[in-house]
Amino acid sequence: MTNYKSLLLALLFLLPLLYSCEQSTDVVESGTYAGTLHEVEPEKTEIYVKTTDGKLLELYFTESTTLTRNGETVAFDQLKEGGQVEVEVEKVGQRLEPIAVRIVE
Amino acid sequence: MSDPNFWRTEVWHPLTVHFPIALLLFATIFKLVSLFIRQTKDTFWQRTAAVMLYFGCLGAWVSIYTGDLADGIVSRNLCDPTVLKQHEIAAYNLAYLFSAATVLDLGQRLNLIRFKPKGIHLVVTLLMLVGIWFLIRAGHSGAEVVYEQAGGVLVPTADCAGF
Repeated sequence: MTNYKSLLLALLFLLPLLYSCEQSTDVVESGTYAGTLHEVEPEKTEIYVKTTDGKLLELYFTESTTLTRNGETVAFDQLKEGGQVEVEVEKVGQRLEPIAVRIVE
Repeated sequence: MSDPNFWRTEVWHPLTVHFPIALLLFATIFKLVSLFIRQTKDTFWQRTAAVMLYFGCLGAWVSIYTGDLADGIVSRNLCDPTVLKQHEIAAYNLAYLFSAATVLDLGQRLNLIRFKPKGIHLVVTLLMLVGIWFLIRAGHSGAEVVYEQAGGVLVPTADCAGF
């Protein structure tokens, strides 16, 4: 019986861990935010930015999104996880559209 | 969204997702019934539940793959992509839970796990029940994406051009 209890207890502790496997994203107001690149997905031209106040922004590049470093346009592959960026976003409904992404050295 | 071609990348997700939904739901029902019927692992309810669980689990991971393909296309047009994120989280959770149930069940079936058969049976059933809760959440948020935000849906032009 003790073993059953241990198994059930282990299962109970497993559940909160499942939530930590995948992190939900946040929605912020239109504006400019500084943060760190949490994840970069080149196949989807998508980035996750962790802002300085702990929000996680999921941003899909559009045709009009600009990506620059020191004022010069650079390719998407210049974005590296852990890198510092400044993003200008526009909130459309609950969707965040990146207007400009600037790589900060 | 006026391309009348049916075989768009995002269509593979709804084409694949309904098999694991049905299989995992019925696998859990069969597993629950087998809990209350005194049976060995080789009798009808147990065997049927196992087969549906294995194929359902495989189907769940295939659906996650096709969902990931659709994500990059669909997210850009949604008014609230956070619903899609919740859908994705629920999908991963259910896939992990049913995978754990599959490993335990298969391990027991292949005699790799001989520890407390009834206890393992109970844990497998509990994992599947919690998995069903996430399956319902994933299904609900998936339906919200499609029916409230037209995620992956072809919206014809006003003059029905192309039809």
